[in-house]
Amino acid sequence: MESATVALGHDHADEHHGPPEANQSSRIDRQTLGILLFIVSEVMLFGAFFASYFFLRVVVNPSAWPPHPYELPVAVAGVNTAILVSSSFTVHYALEAIRRGNRAGLKLGLLLTWMLGATFLFIQLNEYVHLGFSARDLSFGSIFYSLTGLHGAHVFVGLMLLTFASIRAFRGHFGPDAEDHLGVEVPGIYWHFVDVMWIVVFVTVYIL
Amino acid sequence: MAGVKISEEAVFRWVVIVALAGASVIALTLLTRPLVGALWGLVLVCWAAVHAYRWVERKRRGS
Repeated sequence: MESATVALGHDHADEHHGPPEANQSSRIDRQTLGILLFIVSEVMLFGAFFASYFFLRVVVNPSAWPPHPYELPVAVAGVNTAILVSSSFTVHYALEAIRRGNRAGLKLGLLLTWMLGATFLFIQLNEYVHLGFSARDLSFGSIFYSLTGLHGAHVFVGLMLLTFASIRAFRGHFGPDAEDHLGVEVPGIYWHFVDVMWIVVFVTVYIL
Repeated sequence: MAGVKISEEAVFRWVVIVALAGASVIALTLLTRPLVGALWGLVLVCWAAVHAYRWVERKRRGS
């Protein structure tokens, strides 16, 4: 009898389908916490490379930087910087468009952003080919390729995210409501982060 | 999706701010010396770190 009651009670509890609600112990909501942790981890990753860069530049090679006879193409990198910064405006335009329900604007913005990002990566690779030094040439070459290569890898990942977002946009996904265009908003935030990191890399490596 | 507190719009504003800050470092470096530009850049990074910390604290207290 007792076991039958227990069994009945158990059946009643099973009426709730699906997994239980996730416990939220943090006072910061989980999306904000997730993005913050991601950005902090990325900043630490880039920070480690910047620390190496300044150590090599200031402590190991205090005399000439870049070491003679190496030179960096500042003008080309400057144009590339302008291209990447403008891509942040186009991805912002894409999101503003979908917030207003303008699907054509979303597609145009995403395509422009993708093309600008691909152009940036192409110019970066072309620069590598024509630089005249490799990652094996002194610590300068190693840290230059490490820092710019790390950023290039992030651009590549961003392009993949934009590719998926563009395919979905052309298939008619996404809508004006916030929850309906999260698939563009998150790549957009990532793209802005990549853009900000390039500004820091450009100023540090090419200008200072 | 009421939980999202960081929007693309807010991050885009930071892209513009960082771009302007970068332009100021470039201008200062070209007008003076790289050391001056680097020090100014360090000041800006410290300011941004303090601002970010205060923002997180505000968010934490707000929630």
